[in-house]
Amino acid sequence: MNVAQTIPNDRIDTDELTRRLEALSRFLRVVDPYLPDSDLVAAHTLVERASGRLTLSLDHTVVALAGSTGSGKSSLFNALARFKLSPVGVRRPTTGNAHAVVWGPLEPANRLLDWVGVLPRQRFVRESALDGDDEAALRGLVLLDLPDFDSIERGHQLEVDRLLGLVDQIVWVVDPQKYGDRVLHQAYLSQFATHSGVTIVVLNQADRLSPADTEVVVADLTRLLAEDGLTDTPVIASSAKQPGMLRDLRSALEDTVANRQAALRRLSADLDVIGDELGSMFGPPAAEDEVDRATVRQLSESLSASAGVAGVADATAGAYRHRASAATGWPLLRGLRRLRPDPLRKLHLAEPVKTDSVSTDVVPRTSVPEADAAQKSAVGLSVRAVADRAAAPLPEIWTPALNTAARSRAGDLPDALDRAVAQTDLGLEKPPAWWRAVGILQWVLLTAAGAGLVWLILGYALAALGLPEIDGVQVGSVPLPTLLLLTGLAGGLLLWLLIRPIIEAGARRAGRRAEQRLRSAITEVGRVHVVAPVREVLHAYAQAREAVGVVRSE
Amino acid sequence: MKAVINPSDRTGGGQVRPANLEVPPQLERLATGLSRLRAALGSASYPLELPSADEARRVGSALTAQLDDYLLPRLSRLDAPLLVVVGGSTGAGKSTLVNSLVQTPVSTAGVLRPTTRSPVLVVHPDDLPFFAPGPGGILPGLTRTGQSSSAPDAIQVIAAPTIGPGLALLDAPDIDSVVDHNRKLAAQLLAAADLWLFVTTAARYADAVPWEMLTTARLRGTVIALVLDRVPPDAVGDIAAHLGEMLTANELGSAPLFVLPETELDQRGLLPDAAIGPMRVWFAQLAEDANARFTVVRQTLNGALAALTPATEGLADAVDDQVRTARSLDERVEAAYRTARRVAEDGLRDGRLLRGEVMARWQEFVGTGDLIRGLESRVGHLRDRLIAAVSGRPTPSHNLRVAMESQLVTLMRGVAADAAEQAYAAWQAHPAGQVLLNPDLQHSSADLPQRADRLVRDWQQWVLELVRTEAGDKRAVARGAAYAANGAGLAVMIAVFTSTAFIPTGLEVAAGAGSAVAGQKVLEAIFGDQAIRTLATRARAELLTRVEELLAAEAARFTGLTAAVHQEAARGALLRQTAAEVEKAREELALTGSGS
Repeated sequence: MNVAQTIPNDRIDTDELTRRLEALSRFLRVVDPYLPDSDLVAAHTLVERASGRLTLSLDHTVVALAGSTGSGKSSLFNALARFKLSPVGVRRPTTGNAHAVVWGPLEPANRLLDWVGVLPRQRFVRESALDGDDEAALRGLVLLDLPDFDSIERGHQLEVDRLLGLVDQIVWVVDPQKYGDRVLHQAYLSQFATHSGVTIVVLNQADRLSPADTEVVVADLTRLLAEDGLTDTPVIASSAKQPGMLRDLRSALEDTVANRQAALRRLSADLDVIGDELGSMFGPPAAEDEVDRATVRQLSESLSASAGVAGVADATAGAYRHRASAATGWPLLRGLRRLRPDPLRKLHLAEPVKTDSVSTDVVPRTSVPEADAAQKSAVGLSVRAVADRAAAPLPEIWTPALNTAARSRAGDLPDALDRAVAQTDLGLEKPPAWWRAVGILQWVLLTAAGAGLVWLILGYALAALGLPEIDGVQVGSVPLPTLLLLTGLAGGLLLWLLIRPIIEAGARRAGRRAEQRLRSAITEVGRVHVVAPVREVLHAYAQAREAVGVVRSE
Repeated sequence: MKAVINPSDRTGGGQVRPANLEVPPQLERLATGLSRLRAALGSASYPLELPSADEARRVGSALTAQLDDYLLPRLSRLDAPLLVVVGGSTGAGKSTLVNSLVQTPVSTAGVLRPTTRSPVLVVHPDDLPFFAPGPGGILPGLTRTGQSSSAPDAIQVIAAPTIGPGLALLDAPDIDSVVDHNRKLAAQLLAAADLWLFVTTAARYADAVPWEMLTTARLRGTVIALVLDRVPPDAVGDIAAHLGEMLTANELGSAPLFVLPETELDQRGLLPDAAIGPMRVWFAQLAEDANARFTVVRQTLNGALAALTPATEGLADAVDDQVRTARSLDERVEAAYRTARRVAEDGLRDGRLLRGEVMARWQEFVGTGDLIRGLESRVGHLRDRLIAAVSGRPTPSHNLRVAMESQLVTLMRGVAADAAEQAYAAWQAHPAGQVLLNPDLQHSSADLPQRADRLVRDWQQWVLELVRTEAGDKRAVARGAAYAANGAGLAVMIAVFTSTAFIPTGLEVAAGAGSAVAGQKVLEAIFGDQAIRTLATRARAELLTRVEELLAAEAARFTGLTAAVHQEAARGALLRQTAAEVEKAREELALTGSGS
């Protein structure tokens, strides 16, 4: 049984391992706010353990002897150490705490044993001047004798589970009576199926079987191990009672110690397991612009409806009409127009809010009515649509994160919408020049009519008082004052009639323009408050996916 | 090598009354009670994934198996031979022990684990008929074969004259190897044992799995004898004492304990006579003494019957647990949909639903004089239709209805989606609910928009019908203008969304809603204020009923998943009742003489 051949010889690159571990920590940092903690426990544990193990001595190899009660772990431990260090007994279960023996000086291994959690009084040093170089080949080996995992003492099992997570290499000690036990295969060996590089299975108490039976049993054990998934694990027959039967195990341990690879191999195998586990959280790559235009347009539609954009646009058109009439109407009737309210003023939107970096003014709240139930429903539906759209290509585990992200700023939406409406330049603050021109023209015409009227009245008064008439200037057959009065009045009226369609067209245009500007402001609000948080999650997904790719690389 | 037989051996049999093999009437009652309990157990199911459900399913099927395999057959044939089941861990040496007891290699022993795959039953040739296959016999579900078989659920029957009549030995598979089928079969066989001969070894006696089985057997009242096998000769005293302590600590101190040291097997693969002798003597005595045998049978039977009540009580509790959980899950769903209903109701009541589109359409409708025209004559209607046909534009009243429709549908879709999400989250937080969920439940059902649309249109139709019948005798409508009824119907629909009258708010006035007020006045003038309000109240109530139905159908997607559990409620009571009947009959029968 040449063991050295069955142990994989490919060496693990420390830099590569560090790179994968860093990728794993990066992954954990990125997904921390988005994925449920319960799915990340194993990864967190591994990062912690790996950083612990890698800072400690890599010249030492921690090997654990694990097995059922009565399989002879302690006897094997003592036989390997060639001293009676761990108590051996016929009463079951025997060992309750782990014992450790260190080949070589104890001092450098002490921190490692502190980390593993072996009590100081259960640490022993193997190697003294008496041995000469007999034990030199095992220098650097830290051998642990674990408690059993299948006795009625539950505490033993918990201790074993803890220690198995920390050691570099595991030697499973089974015996001819118990090698087919369910608890051994289902709860332990199959869990370490991916760790065949750091696993050795020892059939102990082989002295109780005839050599022929030993081979049969080893073959059956190998079959059971293959069923557990441990196909290339070395199986070694040994016995603590006959020193000759320990040779294979000893040389396997010597190889392990000489290679100084077990710790790295263990972590690498752990990383493989975690990498596969995490791999299921990722599907195809998701572009950050996964949220398509149609969805965003739908969102901005419903947000616009909820913010009352149509109403504000109508009010803007009304205000245009109102102000244009006030500026260009027949001057005598303008006063009446002023008595009616400006529609925008009613919405508290009459003066556009000027905001820049230095302004400390508070953006005043508008009086646009609050959204009704149907509009709120519509907003809810389209926000949900954004999350659903983004979640479609991703594995299900990301759905809650996307839903939460899409709604993360939902509480701020009403205020943000109102603010956007209040800050949007509706395009009315500067009256067009032609209003002024028409206004002046109206005044000119009115003045002409007034002058004509005064002239006429003056003429009549002079005639009544018998004073000499002013010489009538005649334009054609019509006297000038009459002409002035009539032209002034008719001109004003005509002008007003003429520009009404122009005002109407202008009002419509102003309404449309306001609606456009409002919509783009609202779309921006939607982007910032709904789409951006979703994109953040998608970004995290892409980053985490890349990190897991590094973790999984062989 | 010494056999430690506990002095308080229950099979001593001195104080036991002679066996009475007559069938007393109580026995009849007990058998009936057991059959009813069997039926009740068979019908109970535990659909929800609860911590108690796993346990209950296991216990339930174990009880059913025990009733079928052991209790019912044993009650019908109290005189059948004493069945000794040899059980224990893999590698404990069960087969070697059985072979040595009958002095014949009947069961294969070997180094591979597990060795025995199909159980071996050794009986005296005279007793063979008792173990014939078929219903009514012991272990009716297992087929009998003449030789070793790898078929599942097969039992190899071997007649051996070396075993005394009145005794049967069953070599069971192991209880703890990797072969799952072995464990199940072993548990089934152990449940059918009159006497359980539990075999363990010096390396195994502190294993957790066998102790669980021992505790189960003790709770079930099975008579147990123990064999401590493969003991290193120099450790016999130490280990036997330790095991004795452990037995006493687990209330099994009165069980007989045999210690077999690790020895060489003879050429036939049997234990040497010196080691197995005391056990063979013990079994020979048991075979000869019918009273002692009968006492063992009665004690195990009594224990098994007595254990039924607490076990069934546990099952009934599990059923109650299921019903309680289903109720709490339903309550979560109802809470979510109650909220949805309230939001919808508020949305319909506060009148704001009219703003925006609906308001604009209404103004269009009123403002164009459409309403008045519609009310006045059919001509207007015809003209409108003509215009619509020529220009291809929908008439304003049509626009109004469409706008209202889409508003209502949006509202319903929104509340249904919220409720589905809330209910989903509530179930997600519950372990039993989590299992029931499927991804579809995260959203409202796929055809909800269509159904909501249909709902609104049906309701509109209903309102139009209502106005037609209610306002039938009004003169204005009596002119027979169908269009007038349409117009009035619309008015009622709008009034539904406004508690009292239109109270124009900023935007409406800004958008020139004066005409809306005018519209209301027109309506009031035609129908009378009170009539409109009455109609509106009825129409609103009708709409809410329909919305509730829609939401109830949505909620049923969740509650339908727990519906099966509610049918279980009666089964818990049935279990308790039948168990009580069995217990009463058992006490009357007084199997162990003192009635304990």
